[in-house]
Amino acid sequence: MALLKDEDRQYLENLFQENLKDKVKIILFSDKSAGSKLVVPGRVECPYCQQTREILEELTSISNLLELEIHDFLADEIIAKKYNVDKIPAILFEKNNEVLNVRYFGLPSGYEFSSLIEDIMDISRGETQLSPETKKVLATVDKPVHIQVFVTPTCPYCPKAVRLAHQFAMENKFITADMVESIEFPHLAEKYGVTAVPKTIINDKVEIEGAVPENVFLEYLKSALKS
Amino acid sequence: MDFIALTRTEEKIDTEQDVIILGGGPAGLTAGIYAGRNLLKTLIIEKTSVGGNAILTEKIDNYPGFPEGITGEELAKKMETQAKKFGVKILESDVQRIYVEGYWKIIETSNGTYRSLSLIIATGTRPRRLEVPGEDKLRGKGVSYCAVCDGAFFTGKKVAVVGGGDSALEEAIYLTKFAEDVTIIHRRDTLRAERIVQQKAFSNSKIKFLWSHIIKAIEGEKKVERLILEDLKTHEIKTFPVDGVFIYVGLIPNTELFKGILNLDPNGFIITDEKMQTSVPGIYAAGDVRGKVLRQLVTAVADGAVAAIEASKFLEEINNKEE
Repeated sequence: MALLKDEDRQYLENLFQENLKDKVKIILFSDKSAGSKLVVPGRVECPYCQQTREILEELTSISNLLELEIHDFLADEIIAKKYNVDKIPAILFEKNNEVLNVRYFGLPSGYEFSSLIEDIMDISRGETQLSPETKKVLATVDKPVHIQVFVTPTCPYCPKAVRLAHQFAMENKFITADMVESIEFPHLAEKYGVTAVPKTIINDKVEIEGAVPENVFLEYLKSALKS
Repeated sequence: MDFIALTRTEEKIDTEQDVIILGGGPAGLTAGIYAGRNLLKTLIIEKTSVGGNAILTEKIDNYPGFPEGITGEELAKKMETQAKKFGVKILESDVQRIYVEGYWKIIETSNGTYRSLSLIIATGTRPRRLEVPGEDKLRGKGVSYCAVCDGAFFTGKKVAVVGGGDSALEEAIYLTKFAEDVTIIHRRDTLRAERIVQQKAFSNSKIKFLWSHIIKAIEGEKKVERLILEDLKTHEIKTFPVDGVFIYVGLIPNTELFKGILNLDPNGFIITDEKMQTSVPGIYAAGDVRGKVLRQLVTAVADGAVAAIEASKFLEEINNKEE
């Protein structure tokens, strides 16, 4: 059964027609046997892998500018390691043969589906929606930064944090930004003490509770770089 | 909720508009629908997510026309679609400053500056904090203001909900989907919530009530472990162990940007007349952000309609003057 309703598909078709410019390859790290009853020793449980694959297949079928590449987390271990993918489902993006540090861990459903769509459009156009001032500051970042944004699919404030983090990563290659779906990765939620979302962790030391404006998010990033 | 929730589009937006609406909740979206239908060039600026506080409600049962109830998310999505159908543009951005220059209302956002002759403020409210020790420190560590966002973290756990209004009860009922034990802590011995909601809460076996108690402090090392309560009748101080606490003790208007520009009431809500007119000609307020007796979806949308019609009249008057 299609996950996208006809009206949503139609809406996306128009949206992509107007907003996509360059080709974007979506790279999914998944479990190839997800959905089958086959028990394979050593496999990680991935209850959302199959749905993630289905929604991405539907999404990439809407525009010729979108392509989907699927890797098996275990069989393609070397590629997973290359991109630092340590959990699945994981979604990455490639444009002009370059893989971006913009990542989704977990099913991008509910409100996060909007984040995915907007990310794709920004990447395809090669332009973020950030203010010129923010872009200027981000251009000066010359140390690795890892931003993790914890979300739940039912949180309407979460896409704001995810999108800011992802756009930051699009602006500067030193920045890696991950959406982490808290319910799918409870050990990480536990590790960072997440019981309310969005919660953003920068370089494992700076924490942001809630969705904050762009300039405030930038200040947190600066403070993570200083400490 | 739906498997996917599509909310936003990106498009080119002119910096000059007939009407700018701050806030994309039900009041703002309805103002948009009415302004759009009057063929006014209309821009809604929303800071977080279209739908406002309505999308924080899992199910809305008192909005006429939906006898089976409707989710806040779905209703908001329909309103958004309707507003867009009439040509309204929606920009997701933070407003940093507003000021008035002659007839022009200037809006500075993180994505550029916009101006219009009429402005409708529908920025709504945010949850009031309890303002007790531990609340800030443990925010996001068991202290929450959004049950739909965070409820799933408390699966099988024990939570408290503070408050006695519609939100407190509805969210307590919602939380029983996850939590094993939900206690509503209320400072009075009667509830303000709609009677039907009260009945639902009373008949839910996972919900307990602690009447005439207030929270003195929220305690815990790394996360919420217990509440310190005072029984207002006996003045006894008690320790109440919980894993989480959801706070629904009222609303604070989002009016910081308008201080010094518009007249606000002592609680910070915008003062308007029945035409939604504020103290500045051409600026209107609609929905929860204005001083009013009933803050409900139906009154928010009504305000939005009135504000948009009055804004249209204002624009006509200005045009007539200039001709």
